[in-house]
Amino acid sequence: MFLVLGRTIRESFRNFWRNGWLSVAAVSVMIFSLFTISVLFVITETGSNILRNVQERVNVSIYFKSDVSEENISKAKIDLESYSEVASVEYVSKEKALEDFKSNNVNEPAIVKSLEELGENPLLASLVVKAKSPDQYESVSAYLAEASFKEDISRVNYGKNKEIIEKLNRIVAEIKKIGSILAVLLAGISILIIFNTIRITIYTHRQEIEVMRLVGASNTFIRLPFIFEGIIYGAIASVISMGLLFLSVRFTAQYFPSVVLPENLFSFYLKNFALLLGMQLAIGTFLGIFSSIIAMRKYLRI
Amino acid sequence: MEKREEILDEENINQMESGTDEMVEAAEMEERKIDDGVIIKFDNVKKVFGSDFAALEDISLEIQEGEFVSIVGASGAGKSTFLKLIYAEEMPTGGEVYFEGKPLSGISRRKLPFHRRRIGTVFQDFKLLPKKTAFENVAYAMEVSGAPTDEIMEDVPQILDIVGLSDKMEKYPHELSGGEQQKVVMARALIHKPIVIIADEPTGNLDPVASLEIVKLLLKINKLGTTVILASHDREVVNKAAKRVIVLERGRVVCDDARGKYKMC
Repeated sequence: MFLVLGRTIRESFRNFWRNGWLSVAAVSVMIFSLFTISVLFVITETGSNILRNVQERVNVSIYFKSDVSEENISKAKIDLESYSEVASVEYVSKEKALEDFKSNNVNEPAIVKSLEELGENPLLASLVVKAKSPDQYESVSAYLAEASFKEDISRVNYGKNKEIIEKLNRIVAEIKKIGSILAVLLAGISILIIFNTIRITIYTHRQEIEVMRLVGASNTFIRLPFIFEGIIYGAIASVISMGLLFLSVRFTAQYFPSVVLPENLFSFYLKNFALLLGMQLAIGTFLGIFSSIIAMRKYLRI
Repeated sequence: MEKREEILDEENINQMESGTDEMVEAAEMEERKIDDGVIIKFDNVKKVFGSDFAALEDISLEIQEGEFVSIVGASGAGKSTFLKLIYAEEMPTGGEVYFEGKPLSGISRRKLPFHRRRIGTVFQDFKLLPKKTAFENVAYAMEVSGAPTDEIMEDVPQILDIVGLSDKMEKYPHELSGGEQQKVVMARALIHKPIVIIADEPTGNLDPVASLEIVKLLLKINKLGTTVILASHDREVVNKAAKRVIVLERGRVVCDDARGKYKMC
């Protein structure tokens, strides 16, 4: 069995080499399609990473009037917590707000000083509400407008990040859509080109195939070289595409402000190296085998 | 209808005759294994190409193990189709072809290669691979069936010696004469130790001297026990063989003589 496999693989490499430019064409188109697919993957992955990051910072702060008692606020907290779309509610007391304010403004003694001169705490107690998902803030704010404690609310700080999130969401969805169409298109083209390459291989080997059949070569033995040829196209293309991805990620990572990203693009690439390579190898060999099989079904009469 | 019965009757008689003929030959040649077993049987076989062109019709005959059968007839008489039905390159439109008692229509595509290894084939156009030497061409037949390398190294020179090419093993087909190329093909056909050799116009591209050598070789192979089926329209070749002759005409068997000469019935 190993003997047959060895002979077959040697034969496939020879075919690959002898097909010359055809192999180059097949591999290049495959590289483009794999590269597109993986770039798409990287973009949508980092895109949703950014989204998640921003979403975590989003919240609704409800500021209560200064005369509202702590008891009433905790009642409102319990009320909000019972609301199904709310993930968490955090109470920030007047004192805590003052402390935060002070620590945020340590470098500006004038402000702190004037605050002290005021004698009393001018800041309001608040509840910081986080929704389970960003598109639920709308209903949370609608709920607040109808809440039993709406009279106690001084103001609601909401909507600052809403637009950014929506925009990001739209962009990621758009990239996904266009990228998928492009990937499918390129995959289709590479199937066609590999199909054609294998067809020509079958044609140039028709004499050998005829002899093989006459001397009783098993069908597997006749088919294997073509399948292997397809696999070779896929494997070579995915390795090269991985290299291309390495270069392009490294290049763009320099120009991408790491502030926006929770992690560097390049480290994302390194972290997902196995996944990316595996994905490309899987897609590449699948495309190769698939197109070989169509070509064989059409042109290899066995 | 009448005509068909006539043919069938004639065949039955021929069959009996060829049976007795075998017995006589067996007495003459002790080394030859005689088995009364029918190796190939055509049962009312019909082969139609396209929608109306009948290449073969009403073919019913038997070939015994160890027989040497010549199939003669003009071009287009159905000789090649007849042979193709035996190595299952074509399937009959009607009737059934039996090989060693088993119907060939029941053979699965997966088993087909194993059937082909039991049959050696020789053709007019050789079908040698031009980029391989004589040795490699024969070895290739073993390689594709998954034979181990040491077995190949042992068997191939042996078989090339039998056909008389041991000094030309490393030559490429274009460096060999037509007769020598056909001998390489014979060696390739023999490498699997087949029980039947099918030769479709093996001398079609050869000069009379080379043709004679090929026929001698076929007779030698037959003498060693292998059934030989030779299709030819070469009078000399068929007469030299001087064995059973089946004459095909427009897809029908018109004669079947146990010890025949080339003729048109």
